Amino acid sequence: MTADPAVIAEGVNLVWVLVATFLVFFMHAGFGMLESGQVRSKNVANQLSKNLLTWGIGAIGYFVIGAGVSTIVAAVTTGGGLEGAYGYLFGSSNEWAYLLFGAAFSMVAASIVSGAVAERAQLGGYLVFAVAVGTLIYPVATGLTWGGGFLAGLGYIDFAGSGVVHMVGGVCGLVAAYVVGPRSGRFDTDGSPNVIPGHSLPYAVLGTLILAFGWFGFNVGTAVNVFSVTEAGELAIASYASAGRIAINTALVMGAGSIGAAALSYARTQKVDPLMTANGLLAGLVSVCAFANIAHWSTVLVVGVIAGVQVVLVFDLLEKVGIDDVCAVFPVHGSAGALGVLAVPFVDTTSAFSVSQLGVQLVGVVVLAAWAAATTLLIYGGLKAVGWARVSEQEETDGLDASEHGVETYPEFGQQLSGGGTASVPGTDTPTATDGGSGVSDDD
Amino acid sequence: MMTEIDLVFAYIRPDKLGDVKQALSEVGAPSLTVTNVSGRGSQPTKTSQWRGDEYSVDLHQKIKLECIVSEIPTDDVVEAIENAAHTGNPGDGKIFVVGVDNAVQVRTGKRGREAV
Repeated sequence: MTADPAVIAEGVNLVWVLVATFLVFFMHAGFGMLESGQVRSKNVANQLSKNLLTWGIGAIGYFVIGAGVSTIVAAVTTGGGLEGAYGYLFGSSNEWAYLLFGAAFSMVAASIVSGAVAERAQLGGYLVFAVAVGTLIYPVATGLTWGGGFLAGLGYIDFAGSGVVHMVGGVCGLVAAYVVGPRSGRFDTDGSPNVIPGHSLPYAVLGTLILAFGWFGFNVGTAVNVFSVTEAGELAIASYASAGRIAINTALVMGAGSIGAAALSYARTQKVDPLMTANGLLAGLVSVCAFANIAHWSTVLVVGVIAGVQVVLVFDLLEKVGIDDVCAVFPVHGSAGALGVLAVPFVDTTSAFSVSQLGVQLVGVVVLAAWAAATTLLIYGGLKAVGWARVSEQEETDGLDASEHGVETYPEFGQQLSGGGTASVPGTDTPTATDGGSGVSDDD
Repeated sequence: MMTEIDLVFAYIRPDKLGDVKQALSEVGAPSLTVTNVSGRGSQPTKTSQWRGDEYSVDLHQKIKLECIVSEIPTDDVVEAIENAAHTGNPGDGKIFVVGVDNAVQVRTGKRGREAV
């Protein structure tokens, strides 16, 4: 029996791209937990519904419209022809496998936004925006880069999408949060911030680790071809040759990111903040996407620590300018994504540092961020103009679970009282134990 | 009307509830009503944090106990709670005693001390 190398290559490559796709898909479970843990108990069902429908409506939008937009953008910015942009709709099974990998990525970018506008964005308006991400904002970003468009022509390097996926999603989230406005009570009239703790740290950390698990598919899966067939008709290892490097870089960078954020939070308050640590872990993962296949693990550690530290600093900055980014999506995805893109020429083991490459990376950051910011400003601005951006003040006070879904996520939250006398947190939406520090002194 | 019934309110630490229940049954006053409450007294403000942002918590979790006393000396009940809930740190709580005008046992319709 003789084996056809082309058949083996095709089969193995298909298995790998689908396994990686399924891992990336699982990241949506991570986003769901991460975001719902960071909102109050009155907004949990709303946050989960946004995550469910982001995939539902956004993935269909990407498949039917977005993937073709990406091809068109690549063609238009390089002077190519437009024919066949939507041929994939009538394509082959194999083609759809790779398309699904792209769809899973597109919905990572879209899911990021819901965390920024949590607890006050209207479900309907948010979903309109999720469709816009899947059909326009993200496909244009990939068309300019991975699709072979303008930025690719310049030599822009962004392996798994620090910029293309995460920075784009993070900037969309930032601008959307700015347009929608802060949650009521988040800032005093003089602009000083109040803390609104989320309802479940365990959910947030579980979501973080699910995301980290899916990230192996995101990064290692980007080395999408295991085998290729040489001109001599023999099997050869393809982009998968760097799989081990990508995997170790992915694993180590989360450590570096979490340590960076934990250390800075400890330096500030003498306590290790678990949520900040989790955010730092994710920021590390975001930063490594751009160069996971070409960097040495030692330089990855350096970038990871910087990614973790900047989460703390950038989140402070957002509070200073009065933007209510509920789940810190801009520090975690936006600025950490830009960091990853800009770090490429410094950590690239395949070529020496060059200022011109840094310039190209900078152009990439500016173009992608400007695109994401402008479209978000336009689309969410439009939604705001027609009253679709956020819920009414009364609905916000009641909670979006009640006003948009008619459910109570935790009907018995805090009602238990065990004989041993362990009292749980009172089951109210107003944090009776956390009145934001009105500065009342100790007295009798 | 003097019923010789007292109502003892106690605000105690949640983790002392088990000890207080034990002490009350030892002095012969096992009946009680318990509520989760939060409140502010001499216990210092606690600092908590969320993503590195600190905020002060000056309402502390407490347990409110209500004991109706008629058959045994009210002082015994007060002392039992006082001793069992004591740690010596600010935040141990307070006990208040008030007189009760009347009482009704819903099941039997009995009035006054008989109802308790």
